[in-house]
This record gives sequence, structure tokens and C-alpha cells, in this order.
Amino acid sequence: MRRRVVVTGMGVITPLGHSVTELFAAQVEGRTAVGPITRFDARTFPTTFASEVKGFDLGRFVREPQRFRNCGLNTQFALAAAKQALEDAGLLDPARGDRSRMGVYLGSGEGSDEFPVLVRALAYASPPPGTPGPVDPARFTQVMLQWMNGPRESEQEMYTPAARLALEFALEGPNLACQTACAASSQAIGEALDLIRCGAADVMLAGGSHSMIHPLGVTGFNRLTALSQRNDSPQTASRPFDRDRDGFVLGEGAGMLVLEELEHAKARGAPIYAELTGYGSTADAFRMTDPHPEGRGASQAMADALADAGLQPADIGYINAHGTSTQANDATETAAIKTVFGEYAYRIPISSSKSMLGHLIAAAGAVELIITIMALRQGVIPPTINYQTPDPLCDLDYVPNTARQARFHHALSNSFGFGGQNIALIVSRFSS
Amino acid sequence: MATVSRRAVITGFGVLSPIGNAPDALWSALLAGTRGVRRITLFDPSHLPSQIAGEVADFQPRQMIEKSYRRTLNAMARTVSLGVVGCQWAMADAGLSRGSFAPTRCGIEFASVMGATELDDLGPAAVRAIRPDRSGPDMRAWGEQGIPEIPPLWMLKYLPNMPACHATILYDIQGPSNTQILGDVAGASALEEALRILRRQTADIMLVGGSEAKVHPLSLSRFNLFAEFSRRNDDPGGAIRPFDRERDGTAPGEGAAVFVLEALEHARQRGATPYAEVVAVATGVDRSLSGQGLARIIRQALALAGITPDEVDHVNAHGLGTRSGDRFEARGIAEVFGSRTPVFAPLSRFGNLGAASALLELACSVLALRQGLLPPTLNHLQPDPECPIHVHVGEPRPIRRPYVVKTTYTDLGQCAAIVIRRAEA
Repeated sequence: MRRRVVVTGMGVITPLGHSVTELFAAQVEGRTAVGPITRFDARTFPTTFASEVKGFDLGRFVREPQRFRNCGLNTQFALAAAKQALEDAGLLDPARGDRSRMGVYLGSGEGSDEFPVLVRALAYASPPPGTPGPVDPARFTQVMLQWMNGPRESEQEMYTPAARLALEFALEGPNLACQTACAASSQAIGEALDLIRCGAADVMLAGGSHSMIHPLGVTGFNRLTALSQRNDSPQTASRPFDRDRDGFVLGEGAGMLVLEELEHAKARGAPIYAELTGYGSTADAFRMTDPHPEGRGASQAMADALADAGLQPADIGYINAHGTSTQANDATETAAIKTVFGEYAYRIPISSSKSMLGHLIAAAGAVELIITIMALRQGVIPPTINYQTPDPLCDLDYVPNTARQARFHHALSNSFGFGGQNIALIVSRFSS
Repeated sequence: MATVSRRAVITGFGVLSPIGNAPDALWSALLAGTRGVRRITLFDPSHLPSQIAGEVADFQPRQMIEKSYRRTLNAMARTVSLGVVGCQWAMADAGLSRGSFAPTRCGIEFASVMGATELDDLGPAAVRAIRPDRSGPDMRAWGEQGIPEIPPLWMLKYLPNMPACHATILYDIQGPSNTQILGDVAGASALEEALRILRRQTADIMLVGGSEAKVHPLSLSRFNLFAEFSRRNDDPGGAIRPFDRERDGTAPGEGAAVFVLEALEHARQRGATPYAEVVAVATGVDRSLSGQGLARIIRQALALAGITPDEVDHVNAHGLGTRSGDRFEARGIAEVFGSRTPVFAPLSRFGNLGAASALLELACSVLALRQGLLPPTLNHLQPDPECPIHVHVGEPRPIRRPYVVKTTYTDLGQCAAIVIRRAEA
């Protein structure tokens, strides 16, 4: 028989709170975290707002936080969320259990360039204004070597966040990190599930962490015209499934879950929040920038997750949508849900956490799965806020604007990544 | 532990490396002792402390990329186009083409990194945004005049998941697609996950690769500040000295290595010839960098494979040529294999390819198993008592046993061990 996997700990750092309780309360209330960008002066950017983590203090979560001063926010957020999750699961003490059977799978963001230094060096190595020509690489390297901070740069390498988690929390088992854009942390959770099922580990700390609220992150998304530019009304900018949606709102943060083999969790009397029962992973194989118009890969991922969990479509009582608030995603996700659920699609409550949180990119899926688990446990479905004008292409029940009481046994969470990676996860009320 | 499992074989191999751009070329170079680490030519390196690297010669993406896909090249940094060409060559080598397999039964696992920006993509914006005193950017000017100067698809050129994304589009691959980012270990992560995906019956064919283009002015400025690079600028070919007493650091390289990994029965059905079998991969963390954790992970891989150290022909090491890295790796290997099993460290021939390193290094042993001959480690001149292993040097030696163990790691202690087996005749 296949090994069963349950969730025994959860932790978050989000724009709506630095604990699962705070986050879920805000989601149920329909509160938004979106506001003007404060991290740098973005007043002349095409998009001037985002969903920022505020008041973050790493010292609340780890001792001697200055040890991580050279790390990026993605590593710092991951450490703080991981500490909550492991403490919640009763596994913070490194003397607890066989640490070689406990691993990490992080859907992780990339490091960032030190923007002022980069611009200064590029300008220094460029021909004077009005004289077009290439940047001189030799002059560029000459000043970069003087102006960059080596220890900071070494922490920007993409393998460092997963390593920092393993080192800080004594998790010596399988260590992996993936980056599949907006699907990354869901994919990390799905593959961590498989690692436990196949016996490679008994416990996996799995989730994601990301911050792209820096000048080059916002610049890059703005050039792709992916972000909402509703600068006169930031708080209503993220409006998944609404007809007037005009792009996503950039968020940041981390979500971490402790996944554990059922017998292992029972044997040590761990809290069991839910069972992770289904995982589907597919590729669109369509375009770099756009989802497949009928949501081919997305519907296949949902169907695969149902099959993996041994469930029928009608068993699903709630869908936490990817729901980014872009024209393309919300229409194709709706189409994909209809493909899988048929007529029943109209009767499932569907909501988008991103309407309040913004899009946490690599961290989005993990945070949204935690919200899904809380909805399953508390019998309350958070709403999709800012839903005002129906779109004929999005004609399902998106739980508009106010939370809803609902008891259900199984819920599905979608995450679709830029570049065509589609992930669906199913969580179920635990029963032995 | 899942021991009864589907078997997986390598049926295709695509490579772009500093010593050869095809499996046969790579093998000839391994036998000839070709040294791919040279003075950097892709840009003027004269201000860098370490001015040597392994570059891919004759990389012509415009000629190499699939014709129907050529227009997309503008949205690919070198790190991406190397990977895409590697995927094309691996698929061709395996005899696979678009439409020749069931799309939902094929997936991809790719080892990658965020590419460094091309300087000319941001140069004009920087010139517009620099403050009059040149001390840094004026953010308002960046927003108003800088951002419009940047190519619209700028961000897409560099995203880590782009090689996999392009490969899925090119070949209509609709199974799982994941991108591993664990530095020098990422190729092993990709192989580990691909093996699990085949074994859980989610796919029959997995494209497993890695690519990285580190020979870049921004990347090498950064690496020179923290990585342990050799300063032997006057002797590039002899600079990287794995496990040698006089080693003084490694050198970067660039390239791509891509395998087609296929369920054995699927390969047999379509008459594909395996290069080798991938038997097991284990990963984990050596927190103290003592070698004990690496040894544990090697033992775990051997246990998964159901073999003893005596059945291993040689260990294929990462062999970076760094002071503490080599000592760490040698201790881990020695703990399991003592000083009898030969250790082969091919990296001194081409440099550290980062995300492509584990699979290119592994490929050298894949070819060795197939040819029945193990090429020597270059530049290991004086054994180091701190590295108590038997490094294979001198003449090529015949392969005597069916299995190879490949090790790799990051400087923070993330490790992997891969077990492969000679293909059955």
C-alpha cells in the first residue's frame, strides 16, 4: 500500500500577516494588503503599487538574525516561515527524530542584483549619451569588482535558500529547489509528497519563498505588460475573474508546510491538519508567455490530481484558483475547470487568494495551499474580493466579495507558471 | 524503500562542451586529453583576478536552433540557447522527434539558473537614469526614461525555467516540466526526480539536462568576489588540479549536457539502444562538511541500487580543484570506498559548468562504460594526504566492473550521489 502523507505544520510570511492565523483571518475578512511601493521610489514606474510584506523582523524567528544579513529576502522569509512550520509540527528541536530522514524542497526565487551598483557600473562602462554603442565589458568588470559586496553576492546564488533551511533547522535528508515561476512552490510540495511516498524521506519541509518587489523585478514585469497599472486604485487592482481585470499585482512572502508520512506523524502524536492526497503536473507546450487557450495542460493537471487522489470531480468541495487577475489566466483557468468538472463546475465555490494578497510568484502556491487547508478545517471559504463586473468568459461561482460557510472534505488548489508548468494539489480532511 | 521499480536507461545524449560538441567528439577529446580551459575570449577578462574558463567553441545558435524556432532566439540568453540546442541534439540522438511519442507521456527535468543580464539590454536605460554626479540611479529617471529603453521580453531571456519551456514547445512535451536550481547539484536533482517520475508511471520518456553560461562579465565579476578560482592565468590547461597538493581553485565553464532517460521497456519496444542504465540517485546535506554526510548519501545510493562498493568500477567525482572542496569530497568518498576504487575527476578538462556540471561529468563516465575504457584525470600531479583517495591518472584503464558512482556537492554541503550501470548487451 502507498504511504500516506499528512500536513503537520504550517508557517507563513505574507503581506497579510506573519502567522497562519493572522493571514487566514485577513482572508476571511476580505482585507487587502495592496498599496504604494515603499521599498524604492516607484512613482514614475508604469506600476507604482504592490503587495509588500510590512514590519518583517527576522529576529522574531531565529536567533542572531545578523547571521543572515547578506541573504536576500527570499532566504529570510523562508527561514521565518520554516521556523513557524517546524515549531507547529514539534520538530524544531534538532534532537527530535532522525534528521537524515527529514528534507527540504523549496520553490525558490532567484537572488537579485544590487540595482544601484549595477546601474552605476553600466553607466560607467557605456559610451556617453548620444553616442550609441555597446557597454565595455572590461570597464564594467573593473568597477563591479570594486563596488560589489562579495558575501552578499554569494548569498544570491539560487541554491542558498534551501541550504540555509537545511543548515539552520538540521534537515539532512533530500534537499531540492525548483524554480518554475508561479508554479514553483506547488511543484515543490507535489514532488516532496512523492519523495515521502517512495520512501526517500519521512518528513519534508516544503513550500516556497520569493520577493520580486525590487526595481528590476517590477521593471521586467512592466515591460511584459503583466502587471496591473491601476495606479489610481491599487486596492481594487487585483480583481480575478472580473471583466475589467488588467493584470496581476506583485506580492512577496513565503509559505512552508511540514509534510509527514502518516505513521511517522501518528507515532509521535503530531497535529494533523489535513492529508495531501493528490498531485498533478503537466506542461502546456504552447507558448512562452500565454497559457494554452483552452487550458489544455491546466485541465490535465487537475484530472491527474483527481486520479492520484482516487477522487471523482464531484468529491471536490472548493477550488482555490490560481486566479491571477490577468485576462488570459482567469479565462483559461475557468475553461479548464469546466473541462474537468463539466456541469458540476457551476456548483463548486472557487476563490482567488490573490485578490487580497497579490501574486507571491514562486511562493504563491504554498501560501494558497495553506489557506485552502485552513478553509477545509474551519469550514469557511475566503472570498474573491474586487469582483464587480461579471465576464462572460468567467461565469462560475467565484465566492464574490464575502466569505462563505461551507463544509467539505476535499479541496483543490491550482498553480500555473509562466512558461507553461501546471500544478494541481488536492488536500483532504484527515480521517484514519 | 521502493526497491521493485521500473528500470530507466539513457537512450539519447546531446552535449555542448568546452572539449566537444557531440558524444563522439567528447569521447575523442577525453582520450586525446584535450584541455578546454583557456584564456577567456568571449569578452576582455584583463581586469578579472582569474582570466581563464572553458568556453564552448563554435556555438552558432542561429545555425543550430531548429529553423521553425529561430525567431525565438531573440528571447534567449546564451544560457538558454545552449540548453535548447542540447535538448534538440539529445532528442535527435535518441531518434525522437515531435509527434513520434505520446505528448502526455514525456516530461522534462532541467537544471538551470537565472541568467545574468546582457549588459547591452540595460546599458541604454542606465545611461538615461544615472544621476549627474554618476553616484547611482535617479529612480524617477529610470521609471520615465530608462524602462522604455529595455527590450519588452528582457525578463524572459533569463528565467531559469526557459530551457525547459522552449523544449516542451518545440517537441510538444506535455508531461511534468520542472527546473532544478541547486547549483552544481541541480543536474543530479533533475536526474533523481526524472527517475521517480518514470517509476511512478507518470511518464515513459524524460528529457533530463542542464545548461549554464557562466563566462559572462557580470557573472564572473560576482564569482571572482566569492568563488575559489585558480589564479594560474599563465597555465590555463593545467590550472584546475583535482585532489592535488598544489591545487589553488577551480575555473568556470559553460555548456549543456542533456540525456533522454527512458523506461527500459519503452526503449526496447521502439528498438532504442541504451548508453547506460540509471539505477539510483540520493541527495542530502552534509551540515558539518566533514565528509560523513556525503558518505551517508553515497551509502544510501548504493543501498537503493542494491550493490556494494566492490561492484563499483570507479567514482566520478566533482573534483573542483578547490582547497576545502576537494578535501571534503575526498573524505566522503574515502569513507565508503577507501583508497582502492579509482576516482575519475573530468572537470579539470573543461571547468565547472554549474547547472550543467553534474550531467556533463556523468556523461564522461557514461561514455567510458560504453567504450569499456576509463580516461585518466588530468592535472593530478602530487597526491595530497588530505585527500586519501586513489585518483586515476596516466593511461586509460579498462572498465572492470559494471557500476559507476557519481558525486557532486555545493559549498554549503548539499550533496548527491548517482549510481549508473553499464548497459546490458
